[in-house]
Amino acid sequence: MSIKIALAGNPNCGKTTLFNALTGSNQFVGNWPGVTVEKKEGKLKGHSDVTIMDLPGIYSLSPYTLEEVVARNYLVGERPDAILNIVDGTNIERNLYLSTQLMELGIPVIMAVNMMDILEKNGDKIHLDKLSEKLGCPVVAISALKGTGIKEAADKAVDLAKKAATVTIAHSFADSVEAVISAVEAKIGSDVADEQKRFFAIKLIEKDDKIKDMMKSVPDVSAEVQKLEDEFDDDTESIITNERYQYISSIIHDCCTKSKKSEGGSVSDKIDKVVTNRWAALPIFAAVMFLVYYISVTTVGSWATDWANDGVFGDGWHLFGIGTSAYNDAADEYAPYDAEIKGFLEAAEEKAPDVTKEFTEVYDDEDAQEADVDAAIKAFTSNSAIKSLTTEVNIAGEDEDEELVNVNVATFETALEQEEPDPADYGVWVPGIPVLIGNGLDAIGCADWLSGLILDGIVAGVGAVLGFVPQMLVLFIFLAFLESCGYMARVAFIMDRIFRKFGLSGKSFIPMLIGSGCGVPGVMASRTIENDRDRKMTIMTTTFIPCGAKLPIIALIAGAFFDNAGWVAWSAYFVGIAAIICSGIILKKTKMFAGEPAPFVMELPAYHMPTVENVLRSMWERGWSFIKKAGTIILLSTIVLWFLMNFGWADGSFGMLEAEQLDSSILAAIGSVIAPIFAPLGWGNWKMAVAAITGLIAKENVVATFGILFGFAEVAEDGAEIWGQLGASIVPIAAYGFLVFNLLCAPCFAAMGAIKREMNNTKWFWFAIGYQTVLAYIVAFCIYQIGSVFTGNIHVVGLIIALLFVAGFIYLLVRPYKESDTLKVDMKKKAFAK
Amino acid sequence: MMPLSMVKAGETNIIRKIGGKEEVRKFLENLGFVTGGEVTVVSEINGNMIVNVKDSRVAIGKDMANKIMV
Repeated sequence: MSIKIALAGNPNCGKTTLFNALTGSNQFVGNWPGVTVEKKEGKLKGHSDVTIMDLPGIYSLSPYTLEEVVARNYLVGERPDAILNIVDGTNIERNLYLSTQLMELGIPVIMAVNMMDILEKNGDKIHLDKLSEKLGCPVVAISALKGTGIKEAADKAVDLAKKAATVTIAHSFADSVEAVISAVEAKIGSDVADEQKRFFAIKLIEKDDKIKDMMKSVPDVSAEVQKLEDEFDDDTESIITNERYQYISSIIHDCCTKSKKSEGGSVSDKIDKVVTNRWAALPIFAAVMFLVYYISVTTVGSWATDWANDGVFGDGWHLFGIGTSAYNDAADEYAPYDAEIKGFLEAAEEKAPDVTKEFTEVYDDEDAQEADVDAAIKAFTSNSAIKSLTTEVNIAGEDEDEELVNVNVATFETALEQEEPDPADYGVWVPGIPVLIGNGLDAIGCADWLSGLILDGIVAGVGAVLGFVPQMLVLFIFLAFLESCGYMARVAFIMDRIFRKFGLSGKSFIPMLIGSGCGVPGVMASRTIENDRDRKMTIMTTTFIPCGAKLPIIALIAGAFFDNAGWVAWSAYFVGIAAIICSGIILKKTKMFAGEPAPFVMELPAYHMPTVENVLRSMWERGWSFIKKAGTIILLSTIVLWFLMNFGWADGSFGMLEAEQLDSSILAAIGSVIAPIFAPLGWGNWKMAVAAITGLIAKENVVATFGILFGFAEVAEDGAEIWGQLGASIVPIAAYGFLVFNLLCAPCFAAMGAIKREMNNTKWFWFAIGYQTVLAYIVAFCIYQIGSVFTGNIHVVGLIIALLFVAGFIYLLVRPYKESDTLKVDMKKKAFAK
Repeated sequence: MMPLSMVKAGETNIIRKIGGKEEVRKFLENLGFVTGGEVTVVSEINGNMIVNVKDSRVAIGKDMANKIMV
């Protein structure tokens, strides 16, 4: 027989730590049906037939938050065999409030008093036997962090579940209240099990609307409610709450002995006095954020990303860096020869283009036979025009100074004889995955198109995404640490008033800061925001901040159109921040975001040092869920896009294309079809449209695509080679619009995958992507149409529409809005009716 | 009676009354804010407060603090 044990307790009472300790790695993480509340199940260590269900942290079984509704529906609907109620011993009074409600469910309860070690340190005592007697359930002492007492608690829970003991409720309320509860219990029909009647009766008295959905017939209890309210001159729910607290206060002095020492304020209070101090709070927060950003994005993070992208998913890397310095020395030594060869060839091309071309074709061909290369060198150097050629080449020496060197055929030949160092010859070289797979495919004689699909499509696409994993893991370690030590809750408190103004939460700052490095971990960092509305809003707006991959686009546009002006880059950040603020203000006034909790109330957990295991586990859970996503959605998208880019009609037939033939691909055809959509933005050129589409794989692809489309196989990161051609193809104001469009529109597949994962809802995912793209389009449209006025190139219709957009936008920003302060929980009945 | 938002950091008071919308008031009650209970202000930034109630620290916004009378 399988046994189900539910783990219930207040938030921050050590529930997750206990759950991890009980189940080990044997966990299944998902979401509760229809809501974004995390659902965790696991098998008890050493008992494969015992399932532990980790319920969300709750303060009561009332219906005011999503977590409470989810937990309550599970406890009442699924009826676990036992409840393991974990209680924070340092804060027992408040924790017992939930316990008294759990006892009424008619399910055997075992109470585990956590943080006993801290209590003892403070000199406080909890008398477990008294507590057990007063509450009518077994009580054990544990320390979830240190792992003491956990096994006993689990064994007792299993025993209790097996016995299916009947439950006696030890706590009681005032006589008059008890009388009313009995009266209501008598009215409840047989559809409710006897042991559950007290729970339903109390909920009915509390006028809990949601409880009625769980009953077949609802008795009319208005007379009883009226009677109680008249007697106590209060509403019934407050009466019951007060009764509970009164019972707890009446037993607490028997059960606990507090030492005088703890009266002066705990360690956490002292830390809070500094960390949340009116003056020190922001500087401390800025320092912490700088440290997190500096390590996880700038230093360790970028090192990890470079390693993953250029090493694991590139050519390869030196194991533990062995051989890297030797290779660098050799490469430095070779650099002057390389410069000589390049400079000589350049001069030769000017003088004798045909001969030079013949030579470079063979010389650059990696598959050419050695004999052919030798012959080509001979033919080239013996050419009369080349023989007489002498040119001056700039060679960068040490200390950045440059040296002019005369290069003639003789020096050219010596330079050619020098071997170019191969990193693989130095130290311990580990080839990258693409190299390994490429070699493997060559070895089995794989068809060209298939190896192209695997290497350029799948490996390159998924690799580009997985390349961010190491950096994300570094970041997640920090987030997990900040979260579990208790600082994250303070962040929300410190930043809340600022962010609240535009509909975001205090915690939204962290995803946005991280998003300036990469949107993927940025979006995933939104997990720390508990409030559903704030989280959704943060997910939708985080990718507006220009991430690292968007910087090459900024550099390209700034270089090609604006003479590298600095204002282009900072205006991009300004546009991003403005888009976040405006979106926040506009969205919070829409129906979709209205009506959910607005008032700021949250418990701040006590500061404590998290265990390494818990931090690593939290890091891995987040990282793994992203990797899984990369394996599905992103894989599929990259394959489709690869196909569209590499197949098309060339030379009269359909087939696979060379890289230079991108202009006859299916993607180019699609680009031509959708290009007119972008005509009102001033860049209705199919090349621009295609570049914007390839940006979906990764934003830096926009630059590379331009390179291919303008006839260069490879361009520098900022696309310096194509500045001239690009500059001639559209007007600067349209180019700026193009930049803004790419900054704001749907992010890359990796980030979209993260958005889908975090939204956990297809409708919301499309709404987010749609909102971003529409906003990007409208802003780019307004920039071009209104900007054209200043360049003297007015399109009357376009200008009018643009002005209408601006007017509408301003209206949406300033329209009156009443802040909602109701807590509405909308939970589909299906979720528990089954 | 005065709103909690007027209380200085470090002071302990007895809660007299909790106002505001019903749902929010219930949520506060579940967190331990009950009439007759003690509440201590730990710190305050721009009207947002951290208070100690029933041995736990709770952060509340200015608008909420205005509705808790002590």
